[in-house]
Amino acid sequence: MLNDLIGGFKTIAPSIPYIINGIWVSLGIALGASILGFVGGILLSLCKIGNIKVLNGLARAYTSVFRGTPLILQLAIAYFGIPQLFQMGDVNPFTCAVLTFGLNSAAYMSEIIRSGINAVDKGQFEASEALGISYWPAMKDIILPQAIKNILPAMMNEFITLTKDSAIVSTISVTDMMRRSQIVAAQYYLYFPPMLVSLVMYYVIVLILTYFGGRLERRMRRSD
Amino acid sequence: MIKAEHIFKNFGELHVLKDVSLEIRKGEVVVIIGPSGSGKSTFLRCINLLEKPTGGRVEIDDQEMTALRPKQVVKVREKVGMVFQHFYLFPHKTVLENLIYAPMKVKGLSREKAEERAKELLEKVGLSEKAGQYPSKLSGGQQQRVAIARALAMEPDYMLFDEPTSALDPEMVKEVLEVIQSLADTGMTMIIVTHEMGFAKMVADKVVFMDDGQILESASPDQFFSAPKTDRAKDFLEKIL
Repeated sequence: MLNDLIGGFKTIAPSIPYIINGIWVSLGIALGASILGFVGGILLSLCKIGNIKVLNGLARAYTSVFRGTPLILQLAIAYFGIPQLFQMGDVNPFTCAVLTFGLNSAAYMSEIIRSGINAVDKGQFEASEALGISYWPAMKDIILPQAIKNILPAMMNEFITLTKDSAIVSTISVTDMMRRSQIVAAQYYLYFPPMLVSLVMYYVIVLILTYFGGRLERRMRRSD
Repeated sequence: MIKAEHIFKNFGELHVLKDVSLEIRKGEVVVIIGPSGSGKSTFLRCINLLEKPTGGRVEIDDQEMTALRPKQVVKVREKVGMVFQHFYLFPHKTVLENLIYAPMKVKGLSREKAEERAKELLEKVGLSEKAGQYPSKLSGGQQQRVAIARALAMEPDYMLFDEPTSALDPEMVKEVLEVIQSLADTGMTMIIVTHEMGFAKMVADKVVFMDDGQILESASPDQFFSAPKTDRAKDFLEKIL
């Protein structure tokens, strides 16, 4: 069996760089989605903590739907369902993946940011008010920077989760690392070696991200 | 001039202020004293509308705060500086940034102008060398002096002090009181809520005694501290002096 395994790796060796380079696709999706998710999350969280009832309800409904349904199904609807319904022809699967992941991540991110804002001392808002600073500048320059500092670890986790979950874009024909190992597996009719390559690769990337997350957190704590 | 007329404040079933009226003339220093929970702080916060009164009206320089839209309230607040018990400096900004943020953002001052003014103020409160530090590196007394300087950076006409020394270690109370005293000497109009009776006696033009959501006495410090009229004021003074 061991010989078979070693032989298997030898067979797919020329394709290993192809699989590994898929990580850039995965990271690209995670990065694009987290930027979208961050901006969307801030907007949603502001809707949730504000006094406007309509926005309140909308933001909560949005979060509820995106958190309450499978991501792989949301992806399928975005890539297969909606384009067919509106006769949009072929849509770019990568763009589709970034948008869906971004919208989904915004729902999770908004909860993180909301708890971060709530954790900032109410006195910070009062001190701003007493200085004649109006709501938006106070939010942008005083409250949010403090909130984001507190929730940085949680946001880093969200990014790591996105990187891992991005593997499901293989279902809409994006050639990310997962998809590439499937392609290689099918080509040589050898499953274990290509899957192991991407497994190790995903894990290494997550370890690296975790390491940088920890460093970032320590650096932030130093200015306290 | 600040005029508060018939202020009521309820928190649900709790009636914190029951018909409180007070006038503060330009240049006057009014000290509000009274037992904990008597509504002193709430009353102070009603003046710049950090707390919205349930009933009554607040006037600042003939502008009826309680009738203004939120945007206009923000505008009038520029004239009223406030110092809090727990300082509430912006922890992610340095001392200098704490002082220049509002003048630049709200008053539209240039950075140079704002910094120049900030440095003058830091010198006045004796903290010039702390300009580049973050608030967490300062002692409580230093933080409170920065907070006072931050409020003054907006060049307010009035200052409200909400128990400015209550959160401080005893050895730091003096340095803060000295700053407030020197501010009084410049003729600043101030309302001070405090438990420091010696300081009240020294700095006040008028002492107001509150208990149970009402003003029971309002008199000159000499009069009040030597011959309080109500039993509750006598009782209070006996307990703390």
